[in-house]
Amino acid sequence: MTAELSESARFVGLAAREIMDGQVCFVGIGVPSLAAMAAKRHHAPDMVLVYESGAVDSDPPVPPLSTGSPTVVANTSMVTSCLGVFAMLQQGYLDRGLLSAAQVDRFGNLNSTVIGDYAKPKVRMVGSGGAHDIALLAREVIIMMPHDPRRFVPEVDFITSPGLWSGEKGPEGRRPRGRGPTCLMTPRARFTFAAGELTLDALADGVGEDEALEGIRWEVPRASTVRRLPPIEPKLAAIATELVESWGAAL
Amino acid sequence: MTKKLIGLKEAVSLYIPDGATVFVGGFGQCIPFATAHEIIRQQRKDLVLCRSGADILFDLLIAAGCVRKVVFGYLGNPGVGLAHAYRRAVEAGEIETEDWTNFAMVLRLHAGALGVPFLPTATLAGGDTPNASIDIRPVTCPFTGEPLTAVPALRPDVAIIHGQFADEDGNVQMYGLPGDTVDGALASENVVATVERIVSREEIRSRPERTIVPGFRVAAVCHVPWGAHPSYVEGFYGRDDAAYSAWDQLARDAKKLTEWIDAEIRRVPEFGAYLKRLEPGLLEALAAARGRNLETLS
Repeated sequence: MTAELSESARFVGLAAREIMDGQVCFVGIGVPSLAAMAAKRHHAPDMVLVYESGAVDSDPPVPPLSTGSPTVVANTSMVTSCLGVFAMLQQGYLDRGLLSAAQVDRFGNLNSTVIGDYAKPKVRMVGSGGAHDIALLAREVIIMMPHDPRRFVPEVDFITSPGLWSGEKGPEGRRPRGRGPTCLMTPRARFTFAAGELTLDALADGVGEDEALEGIRWEVPRASTVRRLPPIEPKLAAIATELVESWGAAL
Repeated sequence: MTKKLIGLKEAVSLYIPDGATVFVGGFGQCIPFATAHEIIRQQRKDLVLCRSGADILFDLLIAAGCVRKVVFGYLGNPGVGLAHAYRRAVEAGEIETEDWTNFAMVLRLHAGALGVPFLPTATLAGGDTPNASIDIRPVTCPFTGEPLTAVPALRPDVAIIHGQFADEDGNVQMYGLPGDTVDGALASENVVATVERIVSREEIRSRPERTIVPGFRVAAVCHVPWGAHPSYVEGFYGRDDAAYSAWDQLARDAKKLTEWIDAEIRRVPEFGAYLKRLEPGLLEALAAARGRNLETLS
């Protein structure tokens, strides 16, 4: 592992690698934005960042605090309405949705609505925003979560944004337009949903399996061969570090 | 024609009654804080606030006791965290919530603006969001048989919006991100607009594609420079990120928050007086971060 790379910068670097050149990505705030910006600056110059505020093909000079921040429009090809970008999403033009949430479960369901019971919540959070829409309508979803075991639960308190489509909670005959979550990144590891649930796929450089799963309260299946991810390249590490520093908070 | 260019006090008094369903414009930028302050000064009650992504303007009006219900896709302090006054109100059972998604809210407003009773969509399927608090119905495409979700049109009583320019006829112009402002304004029965600058009819007509709401749909237009602070206005001033962070601390404490609202809003006569109480040099710094120079555009 690159000794001087912070956990946040490594997280951004690992997540950035999941974003390929030429893809059209619907980007949320926080790690998703930082990862998309890092990918664009490092290996994906023709990737198109779309923000729900209406910025299309954005290339923010500094990481945005909100989807409608000035930096989102400071260097963008198109400003349209929210309807304009959600229309592109519903048409199927968004290759990737990059999401984070307060809680994730073994099926990739995401919760950003309440901790506790919906009618009498312990903590009332911000709600879906565009996350539910992105989860259903992006061609593929990448989930980005810090390694915080409290946020990995066997079953989320409230399914704001559905993960793997079980059909149980969905109306008859409905299927999401996209594939749903295909990958979940933490600063320590890469997971897939290959086994029909969260599955350990690969470890970050220098991280052991125990560390990657530390504190997670259920037995997470492992791929038949758990791969080892190469160290973050120096150039990507430098870009990720700069972005994390200008973001100004831990991820 | 009745005079549309009036003071904000009069506009709120005429067009925002207790119990009104109010669409709040702005997304990131152009969030109508000056109008929210005036609503607080006039002690409006039982308002239903709606929009897609709602920021701390909602938290402020909830803290001031003006709100009965919120209808939204997101309600928080963008980039900072939770909306604490809202959170307290929900956890104490003092406020009603409809949890939509941002896309669904935009579609509901667009249906209202289109003059149709609903729109079909491929979102709102699966998980708990469709069943928790909202009224949606399954609908089958009469042409293809595809199962979809119908979301009902939303027709707010009044939209409060902020823009860069307007003329005295009420034609409102906006630069930068519109978010859901256009759909929300056109879905609403009345529109109350505040703007940074009142310009001549000729100036409006020199760039008519920038008009987002035509004068005949606007009930009142008010000249309120800095009327979107602490959000930003493209071409006029940058976002006061520090104020959003400060709100996070302030709003955690219900008592301190009430004292702040009393001192900075209830006991000042109008929005200009609130601006004068801000830290010296702040407005100059924000004006320097105004983004594009709209004076050189046409």
